Amino acid sequence: MQPRLEKRGAEADIYLVEWSGRQAVSKVRTPKPYRHEELDATIRKQRTVHEANFMSAAKAAGVMTPFVHFVDPVNAEIIMEFVEGENVRDTMTPDLCYEMGCYAAMLHASNIIHGDLTTSNFITNKKLVLLDFGLSYYSERVEDMATDIRLIKEVFTSAHIAVKKAFPRFVEGYASVAGRKRTEKILENVKEIEQRGRYARVT
Amino acid sequence: MLCLGVESTAHTFGCSIVDSTGKVLSDERDLYKAPEGSGIHPREASRHHMEVSTGLFRQSLQSAGVSMKDVGIVGYSAGPGLGPCLRVGAVVARTVAGFNKKPLVPVNHALGHLELGAMLTGASDPLVLLVSGGHTMILAFSHGRWRVFGETLDITAGQLLDQFGRALGFASPCGGRIEQLAVQSAGKYLQLPYIVKGNDVSFSGLLTAAIRLASGRAQVADTCYSLQETAFAMLAEAVERALSFTGKKEMMIVGGVAANKRLAQMLEAACSRQGAKLFVCPLKFAGDNGAQIAWTAIQEYQTTKKHVKMEKSFVQQSWRLDTVDVSWR
Repeated sequence: MQPRLEKRGAEADIYLVEWSGRQAVSKVRTPKPYRHEELDATIRKQRTVHEANFMSAAKAAGVMTPFVHFVDPVNAEIIMEFVEGENVRDTMTPDLCYEMGCYAAMLHASNIIHGDLTTSNFITNKKLVLLDFGLSYYSERVEDMATDIRLIKEVFTSAHIAVKKAFPRFVEGYASVAGRKRTEKILENVKEIEQRGRYARVT
Repeated sequence: MLCLGVESTAHTFGCSIVDSTGKVLSDERDLYKAPEGSGIHPREASRHHMEVSTGLFRQSLQSAGVSMKDVGIVGYSAGPGLGPCLRVGAVVARTVAGFNKKPLVPVNHALGHLELGAMLTGASDPLVLLVSGGHTMILAFSHGRWRVFGETLDITAGQLLDQFGRALGFASPCGGRIEQLAVQSAGKYLQLPYIVKGNDVSFSGLLTAAIRLASGRAQVADTCYSLQETAFAMLAEAVERALSFTGKKEMMIVGGVAANKRLAQMLEAACSRQGAKLFVCPLKFAGDNGAQIAWTAIQEYQTTKKHVKMEKSFVQQSWRLDTVDVSWR
């Protein structure tokens, strides 16, 4: 099967390929023409390695991620399992928000910060699958977990403003895993980050 | 109908007359210049604004060839910005509106940047990068408001450049001087922290690291070059992410930092990767000006007739763009 360009994302180009007779996805972080060469090479290599590592680590935390077949840090390429399903960005519902909340809490329970928690990184089929771990890192700081949550809150209030109760449902899902007390502590920190923002009203 | 717009959020005091088709009949402004090595002193800036306000107001009528009788409404920038500076603009607007019995329309300064930029470039439904001393935000219009898709988590790109420049002894705004120095560099890249969190960016660590580099052995030109390369690549990446997420086919850049050629070049490359057309706000209107206030006020007034009573004409130092209802889009 000839590789076929499936999607040109912001981060990488996605090709449909074949791996051991099965359909697979090749994610190549192509050089960005606008970034300085040295800077670009460092970023692409680092994110590729991180992504592969954290896709596996997330599985141990109970979060569904694609299976990694092959990693090539030099060419910044990962070949992974092809996941069938729809992008959550296009099929947002409050129930999916609940599930995304559960996933976030499961990652955080293992001290994994996703770093790019947005609806377009979730694929929904029978189960939810989380993608794009290029910006992931380990941390036990509440601040870093709050950063993850603030990001998806920003996505809810911009791209999905028409979906009612998106963030409250997400928080419910999060609390169902992390517990109410822990969730409140993190939400407190989310508020703090928001108030650090430009021209935010301090309440 | 004609509108007088008064702008005074930061270092610029501006008065402008704009008509309801968007024609800018006059655009007068004067900039407060900070002494070398320092930024805008709010008190000094407001004193400057007071001193130039009368002359600029008269001049704006004169160059438009109109008198206050021809003007239908008065718009003023009510925030966000520096309190003392905002108050000068508000006082001028109140006085003129009160004396001539014209409706007074408060305008969000950031909204002014976006609306004037969209009118001048002809972009109809763009993703916007608003990048100035006060803002670094990625926005798109949806459900009656400009929504924030990404922004800085701490300081703005303008503050990054200004504070770095001031540490080297330049006077704000420093962006132009840093750009000139960066061009002189042989393209030697010095490693600096690159922080992108989803669609958001963070510049504070970059600022500290760049100042440390500059006060060490590194060449000033190389540091300026590396600072620009890092900061602008972060912005370009955040923009590319937002473009890919929203699927917008138009991208517009407005605000003072939009004057930087290297930034425009990087955004051009990011846009072409995502198949989007880039609209750059004309240099003359990229920075703060009265026309952005007048044009926004006139649109607001024509659609909603919204205006404020004299005693309710406040200014707000903190006033986020994503809290402003826009009914004419």
